[in-house]
Amino acid sequence: MEIYVIASSSIDGGIGCWDLKSGIEQLRFKPCASPAHGLTAVGEKFLAASQLRNASASSGSIFYWSWNKPQVEVKSFPVESIKALAANNEGTYIVGGGTSGDIYLWEVATGKLLKKWHGHYRSVTCLVFSGDDSLLVSGSQDGSIRVWSLIRLFDDFQRQQGNTLYEHNFNEHTMAVTDIVIDYGGCNAMIVSASEDRTCKVWSLSKGKLLRNIVFPSAINSLALDPGGSVFYAGGRDSKIYIGAINATSEYGTQVLGSVSEQSKAVTCLAYCADGNLLISGSEDGGLCVWDPKLRRPVLTFRHGKSPVNNIQVVRKTIVANSNKSHSSWKRHGSALPPPLDKYERSGEDAMDGIVIVDPPPLSDVPAYSSFLSADLIDEQVKELQQQGSAATEIEMERLKLEYKKSLQMNDQWQKNYEDLLQVVMEEQNGGTN
Amino acid sequence: MVRSKAPAKKQQKKGIDFKKIKRKIGRKLPPPKNATNTEIKSKAIVIPEQSVAAEKSDFATSKKGLTLDELLKQTSHPNSKIRNDALHGIEDLFRNHPAELQSHKYAIIQKLKERICDDDNQVRQTFYRLFKAKIFPAFKEDSQGPMVSLLMPCIFLAMAASAIDVRLMAFKFFHLVVEYYPPTFSLDAEKILENYKDIIQKNHFYVEDKSKLKVALSGLAHCLSLLPCDESDTESQKKGPLQNQTLHAYEQDAAKECARFAHISGRLKEIVGVLVNCFQDFIPLIHASRGFNEQSFECIRHILCSIGYAIKFSIRRHTQRQTSWLPASEEATLMILDQDIASMLSKKLLGSFPLNPDNNLYGKIDRWYFILNSVLTKIFLEVSEWSHLPTDLSNRFLEFIENTLLGKIASSSKPVHAETSLALLPFVPKLILRVDRDWRDNLLQAFTTTFSNCKSGSSLKLACISIIRDVIIPNGDILYPNASDLTVNNYQSAWVNKLPSLLIQLGDEHPLSTQAVLQLLLDLGRVGCLNTSPEFEDDVRNFFIPCQCEGDVPGGPFASLPREVQELALCFLYYFTIDNFSSPMLSAIVSCCLNPQLEPALLYRIVEILHTAYRAGYIQITDHFSFFITLIARTKVVPEKLQSAMECNERETYCGTYKELTNLVCSYLSEMGDGSLVLQILEKVLVEQIILKPALDNGCAILRMICALDSKPTILSESSLTALSEYLPGYLVDIVSCIPEDKENSYLYIQTCLYYLVPCYFLFDRSSKLTEQVLKRMRSMVIENTKALESVQDKESGRTSLNLIQCIVSVILLMHNDAKVRKIILSSKSEIDLILQNVITLQSRSTSLTVEGKHMMKILGERLRIASKSLLA
Repeated sequence: MEIYVIASSSIDGGIGCWDLKSGIEQLRFKPCASPAHGLTAVGEKFLAASQLRNASASSGSIFYWSWNKPQVEVKSFPVESIKALAANNEGTYIVGGGTSGDIYLWEVATGKLLKKWHGHYRSVTCLVFSGDDSLLVSGSQDGSIRVWSLIRLFDDFQRQQGNTLYEHNFNEHTMAVTDIVIDYGGCNAMIVSASEDRTCKVWSLSKGKLLRNIVFPSAINSLALDPGGSVFYAGGRDSKIYIGAINATSEYGTQVLGSVSEQSKAVTCLAYCADGNLLISGSEDGGLCVWDPKLRRPVLTFRHGKSPVNNIQVVRKTIVANSNKSHSSWKRHGSALPPPLDKYERSGEDAMDGIVIVDPPPLSDVPAYSSFLSADLIDEQVKELQQQGSAATEIEMERLKLEYKKSLQMNDQWQKNYEDLLQVVMEEQNGGTN
Repeated sequence: MVRSKAPAKKQQKKGIDFKKIKRKIGRKLPPPKNATNTEIKSKAIVIPEQSVAAEKSDFATSKKGLTLDELLKQTSHPNSKIRNDALHGIEDLFRNHPAELQSHKYAIIQKLKERICDDDNQVRQTFYRLFKAKIFPAFKEDSQGPMVSLLMPCIFLAMAASAIDVRLMAFKFFHLVVEYYPPTFSLDAEKILENYKDIIQKNHFYVEDKSKLKVALSGLAHCLSLLPCDESDTESQKKGPLQNQTLHAYEQDAAKECARFAHISGRLKEIVGVLVNCFQDFIPLIHASRGFNEQSFECIRHILCSIGYAIKFSIRRHTQRQTSWLPASEEATLMILDQDIASMLSKKLLGSFPLNPDNNLYGKIDRWYFILNSVLTKIFLEVSEWSHLPTDLSNRFLEFIENTLLGKIASSSKPVHAETSLALLPFVPKLILRVDRDWRDNLLQAFTTTFSNCKSGSSLKLACISIIRDVIIPNGDILYPNASDLTVNNYQSAWVNKLPSLLIQLGDEHPLSTQAVLQLLLDLGRVGCLNTSPEFEDDVRNFFIPCQCEGDVPGGPFASLPREVQELALCFLYYFTIDNFSSPMLSAIVSCCLNPQLEPALLYRIVEILHTAYRAGYIQITDHFSFFITLIARTKVVPEKLQSAMECNERETYCGTYKELTNLVCSYLSEMGDGSLVLQILEKVLVEQIILKPALDNGCAILRMICALDSKPTILSESSLTALSEYLPGYLVDIVSCIPEDKENSYLYIQTCLYYLVPCYFLFDRSSKLTEQVLKRMRSMVIENTKALESVQDKESGRTSLNLIQCIVSVILLMHNDAKVRKIILSSKSEIDLILQNVITLQSRSTSLTVEGKHMMKILGERLRIASKSLLA
């Protein structure tokens, strides 16, 4: 499997892409000038990035790139400038956080704006999905962190009851939240947040409260979680990468991993690659550095450009076009990528609109995009299937028959083994008694 | 007999010794007649006997010479006087020998506990005093649980005794226990409440003597106040000691405090019923006002407080169950929603509001009525949230609240009034949402009055601040008021506008209040709720400007606040600049930064926060530049000439701060965009500063800023280079003349010089023309001074000229020492040679030089010659 590092910058430098093993630069996707946390690989099938625009522009923009083409393929123009962008693991939904504090939730396959809600009082700075995709955590410039349940967001009854939309509202940060990471506990996970108030805080999603407060000597720009779960890495404005212990006993218990550049340029972003245990940092001066966190020294460096890198992601590339199984509806448009995202919520088109069906967890061989879809999309797919005729089902039948045969053989094998074993045991026992 | 005990005691002592010996001798004597050995044995026995007598003086004894053991035995003596005396004796013993109590505490309690039920009143009183004065205070440190569990059975026994006085004493004593060990109540809450109910029900006992009833009622009120009914205490636990909590732990529900009180709600209902009836009995007395004395006032107050606590607790249980979806239990219905209780409360209790004497009396009595009314009002506020009360009744209460907040109730004394306001304030936010329009406006007005009238450091002010928060941003969420509803908005902005001036009034004497105000301002800023007036901005500015600054400008307390409060203020500043940035504000910040008393860490933090605001796009680039340059150019680094050890040390730290600041500014500047573009914008301003000939440190910082942005070859314009070439020679000379040469640590000296020299080296490296011009100017300076030396006979000016020449030569030598710079100045070797010639001629020709001067010139010439030669090589 190929692992790539993608990085973008706040000043137009495109999206750089490197092979993590060899360090060879791949395609550069242009043009792209994205805000921090504005770059995401949607289901690792294609790239999406929100774009920085000058204040006078009336709308924001989000661009899509497919893996094999350096040019922008799909452009969407949401109502306002989008700061933070994130997609769930499957790549079925994209959420964007606007400068006004509104959060937008789109369905990727149709581009439909499923929900738009007022999330924060100031611009949204980062968005993170929990490991099981059930919760969305958003951080804002106003220093608040809010946790949203994707299911409860659509619960109109609760809203009418006057209940708050969010699950938790963490207000203890006194300045803008810069980054949030979430550990592996699913909806009961712990999150670590970094802020310009020079602290990192550890929160429990299940209890909904602050667990730890760790003070750093400088403002923290970015975070990465160690897969061990006991420490996290924090990239500071003072060019140092700190190692913070989540279970810190004192408020000041941090070690320094290393300094990225001598000219004291801030560390702007961090990413952790569990495969090979590497930490990748991006710097204000446009360089990327791959670290071995155990040895605490740099292993590899890349050069993105002169402008500050503000997004890094580690991606395992899968190319949508080659997957013959995907029967997604966007194929009809003749493009490898889904349609652009809607600007406004569609209202009242049909009764099913806005209703989201949540499937049980998908089986491993079921193609992506079949879980978590809105009802009318599923209808569409059902229609498509019907039109396609029985070819697909026949193939499926063949496969199942084959599998059945295999299972039978397996069964025979096990039975034989059992009998053999029984024989041996019996003999031994007989020998013992004799 | 008791009186004569002391003298008798002495005799007894002797008597005992003698008698006992005698007895033993006597015992031994009869059997053998001629065995003399046994007598010796008997003597051997005497010795321990004697030692007991002797040790008695070592034993702790009471005044009367009795040991603890003896005293304890006497406490169960059939004679009440002896019992009483024994208890007194114990108290006396503990006074003189506190250690005795520590070592035998459980034995003592085990023995003494029986005295709770003592028949004699005197004994009981002494017993109570003994525990209050000695035993409980001694137990304060260690675990009281075992002690209490020893006592409780006896207390319960006494509570159920037939004699009323014994029972009362039991309640009184129990109250004491609860005071020292509050968990006692929660352990047996149900049983205790049952007992209280019984004793209060039998109120025919105390028709005459209210003081007896008071004993029971005060205990009950205390117990009920221990019910966990305040949400704030769990909140504070939530935010409390973070570090002690485990990260991944399973919380057990059973451990929760409220689980212990799960079954008392039925009991509470009964108690409330009993208490309301008791209150009814008092009503004629209240209105009569003649028989209304302190005792009955206290009784009524305790009754009302108890009812209040019980209601509060049941409401809290109810809401808790609603929010956490606990399974419904037998107490599912809220107490005050219970038909019987509700009607009883509204008719019998609240209906009697306001309590007023029939004929007007002033003074103490009036104050009593006020206090009772305020407690009633609290109950009303709790109840009215859940059930609908008649309008005229509500109006009466609301009127009382309004008058209290307005301070119209003149008769009440100040502390009582403040306390009442403090108790009523927390209900205001909910009340405002609930009542109709007219009342709401009245209440808002009343609250505004309270807020502006109370003293700035008082707890009332603090409460007001938290009320403002609750009204504007409850739970961290803006409560969107109806857009049409201007009155509420007006009141809110009036409160907010007063906050900064409050900050200035508070000064640095009330850090807690200041912190609360700043936290509120910060939260308002975060949600973008600062719709400000000009005065607001002025006050914020003044808050940051340091006090001692420029005469009549009013100064704020910012610089002298504790660090964490300052941090809050800075966070607020960030959000404030986001919404309403103005250049006067920036200049206020600059003057704050220039305050030499400011801690370095804080200075860096201010710069960082402003840069963050700039990055987020809220400060214009020009403003931000001017902030940096003003900061760098105007910071006064302490004059160099102060050489005493202390000041030298101080100066070093300050220089360190300034260096750090320079680094910070340089790195921020280089982050702001393409270096050459930034330099193009800044060039003119920076050169203007250079022309003004700043002090050494400031000059160095400006040069460093230029270097950080410039590239090789230089992009500075011709005119800037000329300006620089005019400034640099003087600057270089300053370096040498200002930094005292440290002979012992030449490495340090060179490092210090290097800090100042490096920016020049960079400039020289980037522009050879600049190098040439600077050297040329230095040469001409040497020539001028040589001439001056020759012509002028004045010794003083001669010395300065000589010094100058010396400095210039040192500079050249310093530059020459650096291998890289040597290459740079190689191109201008001719200039150096000229200087050398000058020095040599001066040394050889001049007559005005002293011997010392000549010698110096000679050395310099020699060193310069070597340097110049090595340049060629």
